[in-house]
Amino acid sequence: MKPWGDPARRMRLIALVVIAAALGAGVAWADADADAGDPWETMNRGIFRFNEGADRWVIEPIAKGVDFVMPDPVERAIRKFFVNSMIPIHFLNGLLQFKPLAAFEDLARFVVNTTIGVAGFFDPASYFGLEEHQEDFGQTLGVWGVPPGPYLVLPLMGPSNPRDTVGLIADSAALVYPYFVPFYVSASIGVGRQLNRRSLALDEIAAQREEALDYYVAVRNAYTSYRENQLRDREEDESDGDDLYYPD
Amino acid sequence: MAMISITRTDFRTHRVLRSARTATAVLVAAVSCLAAAGARAATESGAGARAVIAETVEEVLAVLRDKSVPTEDRIRSIEEIVYGRFDLCVMSRLVLARNWKRFSEEQKAEYVKEFKRYLTNSYGSRIERYDQQEVEIIGEREEPRGDVVVQTKIMGGEFEGAVVEYRLRNRAEGWRVIDVVIEGISMVSNYRDQFKSIVSSGGPELLLEKLRQKNAAGMAID
Repeated sequence: MKPWGDPARRMRLIALVVIAAALGAGVAWADADADAGDPWETMNRGIFRFNEGADRWVIEPIAKGVDFVMPDPVERAIRKFFVNSMIPIHFLNGLLQFKPLAAFEDLARFVVNTTIGVAGFFDPASYFGLEEHQEDFGQTLGVWGVPPGPYLVLPLMGPSNPRDTVGLIADSAALVYPYFVPFYVSASIGVGRQLNRRSLALDEIAAQREEALDYYVAVRNAYTSYRENQLRDREEDESDGDDLYYPD
Repeated sequence: MAMISITRTDFRTHRVLRSARTATAVLVAAVSCLAAAGARAATESGAGARAVIAETVEEVLAVLRDKSVPTEDRIRSIEEIVYGRFDLCVMSRLVLARNWKRFSEEQKAEYVKEFKRYLTNSYGSRIERYDQQEVEIIGEREEPRGDVVVQTKIMGGEFEGAVVEYRLRNRAEGWRVIDVVIEGISMVSNYRDQFKSIVSSGGPELLLEKLRQKNAAGMAID
């Protein structure tokens, strides 16, 4: 094994450095323009349009094919398998966020679902009352006090922000198996996972696209709110949403 | 994105046809909406709010389960159940936030009406996809200024485990839902952001135009 000899791995390292620099820039930018919300909107909308095109002409048709061939329960089992396979990462992040109880509950889920749940295709752990905590490195950085930075749409990967982009790269670098298999194998696994997720969401995404007055803004709001909510871990929001619920 | 830019050629015709009917209906809606604003009864405990959600969920699920009834009739029934418990006046105002003041009385009235139709069309299209999910009420909490949030969880189906919160405000008529928050994504906040960007680029008229356009496109189930 030459961990950094492979060009694909070297690219990943370079990307990490570039994104880390972008994070710094993003944070500075966010401070300067805190109220604007989306200072990169023009660029973001461009990338969003590209992603929508890619989805419409390539990803969605393939996902429809997948959905046609595979029954929904099978797709859901595959999603469970992928979620289970990510638990070691969630466990690590739970520890990094100083939440040992949540981390070990995740670990217990992993043990139960990998064994009794046949490699994670079934979810007996939920039946036993073990809850899942999907902690990722983007959230870990948030717990450590790193601000998200401006909203950022990544090519093909979709909605993000500088903090979550670093998180995404760190989490995929922490995955063990890609270091032991050829690049095209781990790439295919990644594609398979995304296609499976996409084929489970065909109707919902079509409906959202159809009904939104501004789909870009709808997605931006949903992503930002969802991530904030994950970071709060569904605890009570103390602000009472004054601006949202009492605008006058 | 492409969907949004589609312009419907028949949309103007619809508008002309509807404008006469709209004019009268709009005035009625406006009067009731403005009268209700600001009314507020004495505060009671969160149990009242929870009961409203429990009733609503039970009634809606009963309609969803009965697939022998045609979809259009089921949409009507659900509309009746839901709009009886939602305060659409408060909701539509919250969505516009500070922009509310930029709307003339006529525009406000038309906006409230179009927004309601828009909600019906958006959520009506999901009725067909109901797949035996159940809803469990997992708790409620009182917010500092008197609103109550009732938390529910979806059991089964594609959104298994999703947490849905209903925010209720104590109005003259009783506890009324003013927002639905799905996994932290607030309906009011999501529409507010979308509508804000439209109003700031083209004023109230552009928002009304876009709502009319969407509603005309969704007329098939109206």
